Amino acid sequence: MLFSELILAIMKPLNRQRTISSPYHLIKGKKSGQTLQDIGYFGLYPYFGVLSKLDKKAYDQVIKSLFSQGYLLANEQVIELTEKAINASIDESPLNGWKYRGNENLFFNRLSLIVQTLSHVSQSVKIFDPIVNNEEIQMWVKKYLQQIQFRDLAVVQAFKNELFTTLSNSAVSETHKMILTERLTGLTLSGLTWQQIATSKKLSVLDVQLMTVEALHSWMAEIEKSKPPLLLGLMEGVIQQSSLTATAQRTEKLFERGFTLEQIASLRQLKTSTIEDHVVELAMNDPYFNFQSFMSQELYKAIISESRHQQSKRLRDIKEHLPDASYFQIRLALSIKEENQ
Amino acid sequence: MNLEELLYSTYGFSSFRPGQKEIIEQVIAGEDVIALLPTGMGKSICYQLPAKILPDSVLIVSPLLSLMQDQVAQLKKMGEKSVVAINSFLKPEDKDRIMNNLGAYKFIFISPEMLVQPFIKKKLQEIRVSLLVADEAHCISQWGFDFRPDYLRISEILPILNFPQVLALTATATDKVTEEIKEYLALIKPFVYCHPMDRKNIVYDIKKFEDSQEKLEFLKAFIQKFKGPGIIYAGTRKKSQELSMLLTEQGISAAYYHGGMEHQDRVFVQQQFQNGEVEWICSTNAFGMGVHIPNIRQVIHFQIPTSIEGYVQEVGRAGRDGFPALATLLYATGDEALLESLVMDDLPTQHEIEAVFNNGPSATHLIDQGVVRETAFRVIAYWMTKLPLAGVTSQIEQLRKGKRQQASKIRELVSREGCLRSYIIGCFDQQLTHKPDNCCVNDGIDYGVFEAFSYSEKKPIPLDWQERLSVILPI
Repeated sequence: MLFSELILAIMKPLNRQRTISSPYHLIKGKKSGQTLQDIGYFGLYPYFGVLSKLDKKAYDQVIKSLFSQGYLLANEQVIELTEKAINASIDESPLNGWKYRGNENLFFNRLSLIVQTLSHVSQSVKIFDPIVNNEEIQMWVKKYLQQIQFRDLAVVQAFKNELFTTLSNSAVSETHKMILTERLTGLTLSGLTWQQIATSKKLSVLDVQLMTVEALHSWMAEIEKSKPPLLLGLMEGVIQQSSLTATAQRTEKLFERGFTLEQIASLRQLKTSTIEDHVVELAMNDPYFNFQSFMSQELYKAIISESRHQQSKRLRDIKEHLPDASYFQIRLALSIKEENQ
Repeated sequence: MNLEELLYSTYGFSSFRPGQKEIIEQVIAGEDVIALLPTGMGKSICYQLPAKILPDSVLIVSPLLSLMQDQVAQLKKMGEKSVVAINSFLKPEDKDRIMNNLGAYKFIFISPEMLVQPFIKKKLQEIRVSLLVADEAHCISQWGFDFRPDYLRISEILPILNFPQVLALTATATDKVTEEIKEYLALIKPFVYCHPMDRKNIVYDIKKFEDSQEKLEFLKAFIQKFKGPGIIYAGTRKKSQELSMLLTEQGISAAYYHGGMEHQDRVFVQQQFQNGEVEWICSTNAFGMGVHIPNIRQVIHFQIPTSIEGYVQEVGRAGRDGFPALATLLYATGDEALLESLVMDDLPTQHEIEAVFNNGPSATHLIDQGVVRETAFRVIAYWMTKLPLAGVTSQIEQLRKGKRQQASKIRELVSREGCLRSYIIGCFDQQLTHKPDNCCVNDGIDYGVFEAFSYSEKKPIPLDWQERLSVILPI
């Protein structure tokens, strides 16, 4: 998937309902109430936080080219896609941003340093400049290497075999796999910079960075599935047990102990609206979320049917027809997974 | 123990580079030493080896954060474990642990601004320091090309450490700077080692053009005729990218390098250059530190350097293997104006001086708000603790004069009709004793020597990912 395709894939469900910069926040993995909610409303889970270092200028540049290529129409308030954009077919992507939360970088940094070390040590070179300078990762890799007895050439051979097998079985193109291995470095063959990879493939830097994340998500899924003993170790701490943000987890605990939203807000010295954001996040993540303490069954149903009727998830559109509902109630109702209620 | 044996058993080198042994002997004998060694001559060995013999910690004051990180990385790479770096990047959770155990570290690297913090001063008073190393000691001098006011504070720490033995290291210093180092570090009769600045195997060339388009045309022809490995100093990040693209279009393998790239990309480029996978590096002056490549044949300055010291450092990266290397400076009419503005841009303006005076030396929000630039702020904040407003203004005026002199030295280099080599070393108060046959553009250059070098391109790049992995892990 190219970067411009990623933007279009996100824009399609958001069309006429969200601003032109909302895909940017989603791709960056911004943990604000609005962004987190939209993921649930619009089913944008795969794209959350896939390029956390995305630069706003680079994003704006791509948006500009989408305009000039006739995918977007000028609109001051919201995204407005053209027919061309709506009909554009975008290939299935292996992205799984909500699950991996940017931790593919942790996985790949560990892997890069391990491969570099094995490459040198197996060829009897002990001194080299580590490709990863983060000390935490260095310590982790050191411990890992000692555990697997990395000086044993049979272990290196086994590690290499696992790399070949799992990467072969990953459901991405050969180009994806090539890019991934071009970011690895060894004794006689150096890694390539993003710009070098992009130039050689006539793509942009953002395209190859996105393809790397796709390749990693697909590869990590394969490792989780086939559980190769050596590579599986690299997944330690990579998958978050709870998909809630840490701050929402604290609110959840207090809520379970029976505090009201106002009490939680004053206990945590946060605004009530922030606590409401947390509740919306809880609802998104819990298919059996009980909303009864926030609104009646009738109001919930009214909001849902109004949203369907208008084919809109814009809060203002719904509020106009249901003035008795608060914005919080509307947001909450929209974020609840309907099939279970 | 014999020093050569110690060198071999500790670092695996069988012989010293010129100057190292003399310096180390004096350090071990307990003398204060000022050592002027060109970059790449193994300055750090001069304290690393004595540390093996001296009983207590070695405290290294290092003014540049990136340099400190590089030195720590190099030491660790050599298998040295008892190393710690104290700078503003130190995490609070690590700080207490390290500070309570400070004396246990053999090598303590510290930035000048951390050195004077009361808490750290107190800790330093409690430990035993065998040797204080002032790295990049020319930063002490306000006449030096990168004056760091914080560095002057090193003198505040001397009494606390009970006036320890001192080793001052620098790559470039004139007599005037050496005198200032002595004064600030309170060195009464130091042993001064002054390495000859002259690098006989480097040939100095200057090419003059009407405009920068002509420079490009020259460069295109040059890279077809002469082989690398070579570095092209481009001046700006953008230019380094453009030049690298130009070379690539000409079918020459090139990569760009600058401080705006992410860490891994930078390491990749260094490795490619070191491995001979890429022939030319187009870079800003960020490239070079921590890069130890002996066979660099060419250094080209696409843009006029801002100081003779910087120029000599950059050129000095060539020909470390002793074989001939060519340094080519490309000059176009009007570059002086650019030079002037580049040099003067760093200096605090009157507006900045007043802003800091009105808000006090701790008003760092001025930097965040973009009212005062960071370097300017540091300079003003230092001086205002010593001088009134008028004094600071005249101090900055002095600096401006110094900078102007710096710029005029470069102008002189470009316009000179006599021997460039003797001019360059003259800038460092040294005399040319022996003139090599192939010397500089003004004495005629035999380019034939450089045409003879052939660059051996590395084996073809693997075509698919399986092949790549197999080359990386050839097990």
